[in-house]
Amino acid sequence: MGCVCMITFNNVSLIYPHSLQTVFEDLSFTIEEGEMVLVIGATGSGKSSLLRLINGLVPHHTGGILAGDITVDGISTSLTKPGGLAHLIGIVGQNPAHGFVTDTVEEELVFGMEALNFAPDVMRKRVEEILDLLSLAQLRSRSIATLSGGEQQRVAIGSALVMHPKVLVLDEPTSALDPIAAEEVLSILHRLVHDLGLTVVISEHKLERVIGFADRIIAISAEGKAEIDIPEEILKKSPIAPPIVHLARALNLDSVGTSVREVRRMTTHLRDFTPLVAQSESATGESVVEIEKISHIYGEKLALREVSLNFKSGEITAVMGRNGAGKSTLFKSIVGFHKATGGKIRILGQDPTELKGRQRLSTIGFIPQEPSDLLIHSSVSKECAASDHDNALEEGSTFAFLTRMTPTVNPEAHPRDLSEGQRLSLVLALILCSAPDVLVMDEPTRGLDYQAKSLLVDTLVSYSRNLGKCVLIATHDVELVAEVADRVVFLADGDVVADGPTLDVLLSSPAFAPQVAKVMSPAPWLTVTDALRGIAEATGKDLPS
Amino acid sequence: MKSTADVYRLSRQSKVVLSFTSAIALAGFAWPFFYAGNLHWIFVVAIAASAFLLVSEIGIGSIDAKSIALLGVMSAFITLLRPLGAGAAGLEPIWFALIIAARVFGPSWGFLLGVTSMTTSALLTGGVGPWLAYQVFAAGWIGLLAGALPHKFGGRLIRGSTEKALLIVFGIFASFAFGILMDLQFWPWVLGSNTQLSYIPGGELSENLSRFTTFHFASSMAWDIPRAILTSTLIVLTATPFLRALRRTYFKAAFLTPIEFRSALHNKS
Repeated sequence: MGCVCMITFNNVSLIYPHSLQTVFEDLSFTIEEGEMVLVIGATGSGKSSLLRLINGLVPHHTGGILAGDITVDGISTSLTKPGGLAHLIGIVGQNPAHGFVTDTVEEELVFGMEALNFAPDVMRKRVEEILDLLSLAQLRSRSIATLSGGEQQRVAIGSALVMHPKVLVLDEPTSALDPIAAEEVLSILHRLVHDLGLTVVISEHKLERVIGFADRIIAISAEGKAEIDIPEEILKKSPIAPPIVHLARALNLDSVGTSVREVRRMTTHLRDFTPLVAQSESATGESVVEIEKISHIYGEKLALREVSLNFKSGEITAVMGRNGAGKSTLFKSIVGFHKATGGKIRILGQDPTELKGRQRLSTIGFIPQEPSDLLIHSSVSKECAASDHDNALEEGSTFAFLTRMTPTVNPEAHPRDLSEGQRLSLVLALILCSAPDVLVMDEPTRGLDYQAKSLLVDTLVSYSRNLGKCVLIATHDVELVAEVADRVVFLADGDVVADGPTLDVLLSSPAFAPQVAKVMSPAPWLTVTDALRGIAEATGKDLPS
Repeated sequence: MKSTADVYRLSRQSKVVLSFTSAIALAGFAWPFFYAGNLHWIFVVAIAASAFLLVSEIGIGSIDAKSIALLGVMSAFITLLRPLGAGAAGLEPIWFALIIAARVFGPSWGFLLGVTSMTTSALLTGGVGPWLAYQVFAAGWIGLLAGALPHKFGGRLIRGSTEKALLIVFGIFASFAFGILMDLQFWPWVLGSNTQLSYIPGGELSENLSRFTTFHFASSMAWDIPRAILTSTLIVLTATPFLRALRRTYFKAAFLTPIEFRSALHNKS
């Protein structure tokens, strides 16, 4: 019929076993060859199911009812098992480390071809080709475990591409990566689409990262309806959108832009006045964490060099910096996981390494990078009961705290079956119900969608402002920092490079400025709310909302 | 109606091959009581060949990806457990894991787990030798029997403490059975021919049995008892969370879940 359709969904509906709800209803769309399509939707809306329908893992491996017809390169997935599509579709998951089967890069690239009985000379040629294509040549004999997150994800993409698939499906490939590694992976994908004409279907929730690369977007709504269109059209009304789109909507611009440049061009008329210089207020609380000249050395490597800092109650501080800058070491010292090699830390006058039991729980709350490391029981209600017991609280108080954040959580669910956002709420409830004086969080927004992130922001802000607690967050997420932090400490190579009010630190460097600030520069506004308030004050009139 | 693949079950043909090879292996263990000559080396070869035949038969049959993945993960887990035991005095921390996993995933899969985990862990501990094929069959049978333990009694599901007690009893049985089987393949040639406990080729069945029993008690009860104690202790300590985790895996893996393809959602024709 003249169309170069690679993937066709024709009136597709899906119902999982043990469930009465339809995940999708009457989904119809086609994806052309050489297109890069982004799938967006709230957590639990079925993004992963949609991706797994493409190669037939759903329903062949999961069971369920599939109505309608899906074809990939003319092959119907209901007639062919996933194994029969292996040569056609490459799939890459969220955490590359979960998918690796061998030890070194080269072996990993060959593994899939060995399983499909390729001839040795073909294998050799293809490995070389992929090593070049993904710039992995220097890493060929490295052990996979020693690679960085971005390099690992590139190896995972390479081992999918080595089979010469026509379609590459990626399920949140960058959500476990820091911004620089994410950029590295996405630009490689962009090049593959353009150089090889590969069809790429990708899901991602940090839209500001990917939006510029996508040709079209499939937006899945909560009711299981899906829409496919170009990014500009979808983003006009989608509730899931990056900050610049929210800005464009709030300012009632005629169209939404997907890049800072576009939106900046559209908003020149809003920047032709001198904005009032915002006053950055500093917290007036008392000192909670006092750090005096601490240093820490791992073997030969100096991780922290005579760092002195002071954190106050009622203040949210973001600690930023590259991987390996010393953020985690600083946090471990504050929490008391190790004793720093030199210097001293006092939390309300006490040495954190000496805090024990209930006193510890009510002084320091720590949420590690992988919050589920704190979950050890087999259901939400058991976790909450254990926390009531540990903190000597009235029965049911932890669960009550949890339902204030997420009213819909099922108390009988297994903690690992919860969505990322619900799981983080559970961990927050477990930690915060004992009202620790200091809350320390390492990379809290990995894997969170916008909705879960705004829940986190609300919880942290009310905890710090209303209860007057001290909150410390290590993060790469500039948008989160713009929303919550009062103060930013920037670390590089074990030194404090910048320390000051969020506004000053974020605006002083374009690389770390949030999207809204980039669009509105030189006006000192970090978030959509800031910008609206700022414009209203400067022009003396409210914008229609 | 279509459904997702079941957890691995032996096909009819595999069952025939399993019975045939098991019979050879059983003969390999028990021949000293019934035959006058020395068959030791013949059986070393025959049992290794049987193990090979069996594994290739199962390999040709279709094992679903999920069963293979489970088998790989559990074999790796057991392989890592094996060096944790000293290897001496019967302190082998692998049996409890084999028994509990086989309980959840059934006899056919349990047999395979016994075979694969014994083979891979032998590579790690350097325990490769003529005895390996015997050990492989013995571990496979233990997995098979553990998987075949009843799930219902008098119309009620065996779960909770009853299940734990059942597994403990089986653990003790398996510890002793393994000890006896290993001694059987060992006894005819280890003592030479002129001690009071030596095997008498072609001797009276009762005489040989009594010699073997004495030999077994004298030499390796010291292994069986610690093995049984360690296995049952580990079952007591780990059965509840371990069974829960594996049953959750079983549920998540969606074995035998119906699949239905329809042309449209609403008109059910």
